[in-house]
Amino acid sequence: MSSEPRRLHPAAMVIEGIRAVRRWASAAAIPGLAALLGGLSWWALALLLAGAVLLAAGTVLWGFLSWRATVYRVEGGAFHLRSGVLQKKERTIPLEHVQSVDAVQGVLQRLFGVVEVRIETAGGGSSEPDASLAALSRRAADELRRELGGGGRGGEPGEGGGAGTVRRLSTRELLVAGATSGQIGPAAALIGAASQFFDDLYDRLLSEEAARGLLEALAPHAFAAAALLLLAVGLLAWLLAIAGTVLAYAGFTLSRSPDGRNIHISRGLLSRYEATIPVARIQAVRVVEGVLRQPFGLASLRVESAGYGRDEGVSTTLFPMLPRGEAARLLAAVDPRLAADPPLAPLPRRALRRYALRSALPALAAPLAAAGAWSAGAGAGWLLAALPLPALAALYGALRYRDAGWALAGDRLVARSRLVARTTTIAPRRRLQSRSLLRSPLQRRAGLATFRARIASGGGGTGVEVVDLDLRSAWDLMAALGPRPPSPASGRRRVPSR
Amino acid sequence: MREEPKERLDPRAKTLWRLSGFLEMLPVLAAGAGTGWAVARFGGQPPAVAAVPVLATLLATLANALVLPELRWRRWRYEIREDEVDLQRGVLWVVRTLVPFARIQHVDTRSGPLQRRFGLATVVFYTAAGPNRIPELSAPVAAEVRDRIAELTRERDEL
Repeated sequence: MSSEPRRLHPAAMVIEGIRAVRRWASAAAIPGLAALLGGLSWWALALLLAGAVLLAAGTVLWGFLSWRATVYRVEGGAFHLRSGVLQKKERTIPLEHVQSVDAVQGVLQRLFGVVEVRIETAGGGSSEPDASLAALSRRAADELRRELGGGGRGGEPGEGGGAGTVRRLSTRELLVAGATSGQIGPAAALIGAASQFFDDLYDRLLSEEAARGLLEALAPHAFAAAALLLLAVGLLAWLLAIAGTVLAYAGFTLSRSPDGRNIHISRGLLSRYEATIPVARIQAVRVVEGVLRQPFGLASLRVESAGYGRDEGVSTTLFPMLPRGEAARLLAAVDPRLAADPPLAPLPRRALRRYALRSALPALAAPLAAAGAWSAGAGAGWLLAALPLPALAALYGALRYRDAGWALAGDRLVARSRLVARTTTIAPRRRLQSRSLLRSPLQRRAGLATFRARIASGGGGTGVEVVDLDLRSAWDLMAALGPRPPSPASGRRRVPSR
Repeated sequence: MREEPKERLDPRAKTLWRLSGFLEMLPVLAAGAGTGWAVARFGGQPPAVAAVPVLATLLATLANALVLPELRWRRWRYEIREDEVDLQRGVLWVVRTLVPFARIQHVDTRSGPLQRRFGLATVVFYTAAGPNRIPELSAPVAAEVRDRIAELTRERDEL
């Protein structure tokens, strides 16, 4: 397989130029803004303007030069990339090291109707960055993907109406996913930053007297005002979470390559993100039922995939939201080895105490601290507020106990637990890198044990855990998930008899 | 599978752990002494109060340097079984870990400067989910364990 040396799409000039500007601009933004707010002399403004013009000219030139210097070709079983304006760089990636070829479409690329192609290597070592081509026409990208053997998939990203489509996220589902995502963390941070900005504004605009007047006017209704503010902030955060979900997951399409060896994910409203995950590298899947989703029988699917050599694998969203009952069917379409939805065995009754105590004991610190503060002269209100905390924590522990469960389904471990969301992990036996049985002194007394299996994910590992199993089941899991498991029939007979 | 693994670590491990346990507590001891001194000098507290942080860190050091190494050594066991490596460790929280040969990617032995003085080495074997260790074997035993794991790993690759 060989081909002519090729250049990037001319749009690369603009994209590279804008990227460079963005890099410099973000460095100049803070001092620039400060200067603006502090008031500007005409001289400084002129200087700034001249600098900007110079910058623009420089980036145009730079964009052109870097476009001219960048040449790629596929020849002699390897991908060659030559680039660099001042310092020439030549990178060669043997085709067998190419792990995935991803097409990404950022806002800029969308504007020009081109894609960015990222070539991920396997075992290349972290010192060698993977190759990235800033702008290729869709046709050139498809051609390159074919030549690289990275599962060249025709068609627009997101169009994906082909035979291999496993499932698409409908607009209705997208909005529901946003409304139930519960991701108020980032939104809250945004609001926090905004409120700080308004604080500054408020300090500048209101004189001290006016502020005091406003406060006194509000004071009688302080509680209502605070409640209203909280409500408004919550609503805003919720809307932001919906917007964030729409941005990230619009047009989410999960598809399978014709040979069934790779799955493709493409998603995103403004910037399209496209990824290829080899099915053979999937280590485990997680069915995540968020607090807001579980009541509606909805869940999202995550997948843990392993790296190869020093190449990073991913822990990524396989599907953002679907009815819980459809999870097994979707997983079966991806890889039958991952699909299982067996009834789960609960933990023994005596584990309930351990769960309740485990979360209640740390919560005891709150009333103790409040009592200490009270004896030192603080208000009793804190003590009253802190008193129910341990009880609430114990209830949370009981909930975790109720949601915990496990099953052996054929050659798979299925384990469910709750931290905030209720998460069911499905891991094939052959994907378990190691298995551990842990016993704390209290567990030893209660005849309980924790089973933990390690699975590969990303560059390192992650785990599946069943806390407070009865000891016998824990040992059965240890044996059944080993390299030579007892045959299922004898295993099933053995469990009740012991 | 439930019976404990047979092999123990080299007995010299205890001496090494006592030494390293003491060394790693030196900053803590210094901090305790510093706090005690500061409390007596600037806090104007009686010597009995100033002695509390000093005594506490001293006790912690004693535990870390004398008691824990013994308990840890008694618990630590390993065995190379038919299909997997069997490890047991932990003082209060006892952890039993089984690592199938088929999942092991490669095996190392390594020894730090302190370990070399005692003629000890650590066997580290890596799976895709991270490393596992058998610490403080005498150097020849460690080399033997490493070679055996490597050999069995090659054999069981196709499981």
